[in-house]
Amino acid sequence: MAAAAAGSGTPREEEGPSGETAAPQPQAPTSAPGARLSRLPLARVKALVKADPDVTLAGQEAIFILARAAELFVETIAKDAYCCAQQGKRKTLQRRDLDNAIEAVDEFAFLEGTLD
Amino acid sequence: MAERPEDLNLPNAVITRIIKEALPDGVNISKEARSAISRAASVFVLYATSCANNFAMKGKRKTLNASDVLSAMEEMEFQRFVTPLKEALEAYRREQKGKKEASEQKKKDKDKKTDAEEQDKSRDEDNDEDEERLEEEEQNEEEEVDN
Repeated sequence: MAAAAAGSGTPREEEGPSGETAAPQPQAPTSAPGARLSRLPLARVKALVKADPDVTLAGQEAIFILARAAELFVETIAKDAYCCAQQGKRKTLQRRDLDNAIEAVDEFAFLEGTLD
Repeated sequence: MAERPEDLNLPNAVITRIIKEALPDGVNISKEARSAISRAASVFVLYATSCANNFAMKGKRKTLNASDVLSAMEEMEFQRFVTPLKEALEAYRREQKGKKEASEQKKKDKDKKTDAEEQDKSRDEDNDEDEERLEEEEQNEEEEVDN
């Protein structure tokens, strides 16, 4: 499906179907720089990292980047799932849209079997 | 108290906000879908951590650093994250540097302030010429009065 492929392969700058009323670029810092840096609490991300028995220590920068990467991941998977919902002409994202996205997009293969 | 790493969820409110901002206006998300995305994000962090840790161990380091995480992104086939992450990292480093300098500056200012308060008294007398003139006139009047 072209839509799913577009979600996985093309660069983020490409515009979606909605032209002028497109959602603001997630990376463009419009408000105070401090607010845009990370929305996820670093403490929670750190707790996840520490849950790995093989990890000894993680630097502050690493935690920050993981938090930011998780945000990007949420945006990405939400958008990919939305493509499926759009085809069903629905305006509410359902769990099955997510499952479809996971199956369709190679990068999400690591999620298979983990969400149940 | 988390029994499994997957139970360590990221805050629902933040996840919801990120999803809503990623999607066009008017699009909603069911509770099940949102909680599944939240869990997926946790799994993502765990997976990325594990990958990053491999790079750290290869480099014979015990501490995960930023480049380990970036390498992990490429390994996980999320190369498109690498550029925005690098930009975010630079901004973060600038902010950290700014914070450090600000706290150092605050300390300097605090020391300066005690000196400046003493200097200000004399500075006021020097700078305000009008007040000086007035003072002189007052003094003259006083002298007249005294005399």
